[in-house]
Amino acid sequence: MDAGFWVLQLLNATQFSMLLFLLSVGLTVIFGLLHFVNLAHGALYMLGAYVGISVAASSGSFWAAFILAPIAVTAIGAVLYVTLIDRLRGAGPMNQVLVTFGLIFVFLDVVRLLWGDVALSLTAPKSLSGAAEILGVSYPAYRLFIIGLGAVVMASLWLVLSRTQIGAMIRASVENEAMAAALGINVGRLFFSVFCLGCALAGLAGVAAAPIVSATTGMGISILIPTLIVVVIGGLGSLQGAILGSFIVGFIETFGAVLLPGFAAVLIYVLLAAVLVLRPEGLLPARG
Amino acid sequence: MFHQTATRTLVLLIALAGLAIYATSGGYFAREIVVEIAILAILAVSLDVAAGFGGMVSLCHGAIMGIAAYAYAILTVKLGLPNLPAAVLSLAAAAIFGTLVGWITGRTTGIFFIMATLAFGQMAYTTIFKSRWLGGDDGIGSLSRFDLAWLGIDLDDSLVFALYALVLLALVYIAAAWVLRSAFGRTLSGIHANEDRMRALGVNTVIHRARALGFSALLAGVAGILAAQHTLYISPQLLFWTVSGEVLIVVILGGLGTLIGPLVGAVLFVLLKHQISDYTDHWHIVIGLILIATVLAGGRGLYGQVEHMLARRRPAPEKPAPEKPGPEKKGLSHA
Amino acid sequence: MLEVRSLCKSFGGIRVTRDVSFRLQPGERRVILGPNGAGKTTLFNLLAGVLPPTSGDILLEGQSITALPVAERAKKGLSRSYQKNNLFEDLTVRENLMLAATAGQRKSAWMIRDSFQDPDVRETVAEVAEQVALTDLLDAPVRSASYGNRRQLEVGLALATRPRILLMDEPTSGVGPSMIEGFHKLLHGLPKALTVLIIEHDMDLAFDVADRITVLNFGEVVFEGTPEETRGNTVVRDIYLGDWQADA
Repeated sequence: MDAGFWVLQLLNATQFSMLLFLLSVGLTVIFGLLHFVNLAHGALYMLGAYVGISVAASSGSFWAAFILAPIAVTAIGAVLYVTLIDRLRGAGPMNQVLVTFGLIFVFLDVVRLLWGDVALSLTAPKSLSGAAEILGVSYPAYRLFIIGLGAVVMASLWLVLSRTQIGAMIRASVENEAMAAALGINVGRLFFSVFCLGCALAGLAGVAAAPIVSATTGMGISILIPTLIVVVIGGLGSLQGAILGSFIVGFIETFGAVLLPGFAAVLIYVLLAAVLVLRPEGLLPARG
Repeated sequence: MFHQTATRTLVLLIALAGLAIYATSGGYFAREIVVEIAILAILAVSLDVAAGFGGMVSLCHGAIMGIAAYAYAILTVKLGLPNLPAAVLSLAAAAIFGTLVGWITGRTTGIFFIMATLAFGQMAYTTIFKSRWLGGDDGIGSLSRFDLAWLGIDLDDSLVFALYALVLLALVYIAAAWVLRSAFGRTLSGIHANEDRMRALGVNTVIHRARALGFSALLAGVAGILAAQHTLYISPQLLFWTVSGEVLIVVILGGLGTLIGPLVGAVLFVLLKHQISDYTDHWHIVIGLILIATVLAGGRGLYGQVEHMLARRRPAPEKPAPEKPGPEKKGLSHA
Repeated sequence: MLEVRSLCKSFGGIRVTRDVSFRLQPGERRVILGPNGAGKTTLFNLLAGVLPPTSGDILLEGQSITALPVAERAKKGLSRSYQKNNLFEDLTVRENLMLAATAGQRKSAWMIRDSFQDPDVRETVAEVAEQVALTDLLDAPVRSASYGNRRQLEVGLALATRPRILLMDEPTSGVGPSMIEGFHKLLHGLPKALTVLIIEHDMDLAFDVADRITVLNFGEVVFEGTPEETRGNTVVRDIYLGDWQADA
């Protein structure tokens, strides 16, 4: 195991962390803002991948898929919000868990009906199909692109949240919804926008991941748990928490698989349980 | 608070008799279905004890069942213990796991409790999945059933085994109903309704809930041993969190907090699954939509809804005293 | 019986309870008076164990209970009723009292036997129902009970554990004048051996039942004495007069 090996693992861990970030940031803000537990978030990620594959197949362009898949998933999210999510906001965590668990089932079979049970893959665009030399290691350019994508989303969200009025509104509403409404913020519209943004990011993560993991009907469920862990570890509703949580989970899973095979997968649950019991507000909670 | 009403007893007897007749008159396939129903029903009844009466919506009941099944496999296949004592120890293992989870998560509520149970369940799943000694993904085979030849009973006969599964289901239901009707069960409902007051009355609510989850896990363990004896082979899939999610669905569809409802839910769930599977292999979408509809309709579930309608049709036994108007109204909206 | 030594509680920088000390004799009826915001309910929460004190000590029969959680204090015989009804809303009056009596007799952990069939529990429930005048309503659901009856049950729950010390947080809070008479009777009917600490706004009731009165203002004990001494005390009059007349 030379230095190159470790650089490779470092890059893999970063790339996985970025993917987790794209998924968890939407989930965590929805969680923090709407107090809504959306187990179907992973299913939206899966839909992003499948829609992307179809768009790419019919248009012949990866970039068309890259743009259209998040838009399609956002549209699905908007319909979900209007039909289900909004009326379940005050219904308590159990009902939310149940309904979104039901949605997982529904989306699972919808995907099987439309795309079948076979794993599908998406080819990375030509411009990113090669490998790049980084720190003396040859690394797939497409994976570097995902790292860059995550960094760009991270930076833009941070700018929006900390520098813009809508960001201030979101932060105010996470901290105190009643107060935000009293200050004249249209909380309903804000919730809707944030939910759609979360869905768009899930769709983006799906289509971005498709060239690496290939699309299967199980992908939504298998990514859901690590994403939930990121959200809980980081702290509900917190951008910094989502960033920290993504890197913790991404690095433990990647390096754990190398250093402590067998134990790493358990480690992540031990960490989750420890945070839940000792620090249920998460490591970087959004609320003071 | 739990009441074993006449209607509930009637439904229980009808369900058990119906399943027994189905197993007796049907062929091998019918008996397989009856065993499948019994396993799911035991698990659902056990989850209802925790979730419906204790407010502990657990997403680790699949894992608890799996722990009992694996304990049974380890003790019999790996360590060569006789089946009967092995089963008793396996139940104890499940109960201890449940009690520990309940104790550690004692102060977490709502979504945090759900997530914490998910974490502990997945911990057990991954540990077993990754363990080479336990066969990893391949699981453990060559299990065996109880040798009841001294009673003249041959559990390897498919009909006998189906009836044995129904006896276990009946015993689990009776045990659950019995404990829910005891001081312990009533106090558990009290904690669920108003934990703060219960504490002020001198009940250590964390320990009480942990014990309740332990008892629920003990019952779930019965499902685990039955599952292990049924297929004579176990795999880590038994412990995966979606199994727990499915059981929760069964409880909700049947009627959370009614005890008999989840049993009815299990019967319908399995029958529906096989029925739909005859026409299409997309039964998930049907269950998903039914689940969403059930929750949106008020979440009482099938049996809960029937009971609710029966209660409304009957005239109220007590005349509600007239409400006093005025400042007192504020204090009323507590629940 | 119950002794409080230099009890202090601060929230952030705000001192809500300041160096409160007093001592209750067995069987004493002590009323705590004080204007709104004087820190009476905070004091109760400190005594019951809901809040940890910043400093000071609480002793029950000479033994410190300061570090004990709520349930442990209750087991030692310290029971409380709440200012806002805190009942089991979905149950009947009888079931409410049964749960409390079960807990008081340490039978909550029985997994086989039903304490609701237990003769001792039933006897306690019958006695307490008599004490709080709810015997006729035992099988009524709490939900449909009148506000006044719910106030009675609130005290009944605290009594059903058979405490040695009863903390009552404004038992007549929100109760109309027509039902106050019943609470006079209820308080006078309590067992003589029971030590009672009451926060009460109704002056007539307070002076009627109290052996001694402690007056709090801004979290501090400003006066302690018999009802007669309290009536004549000018400091108390100054602090309290406005509120007094408004409330009575």
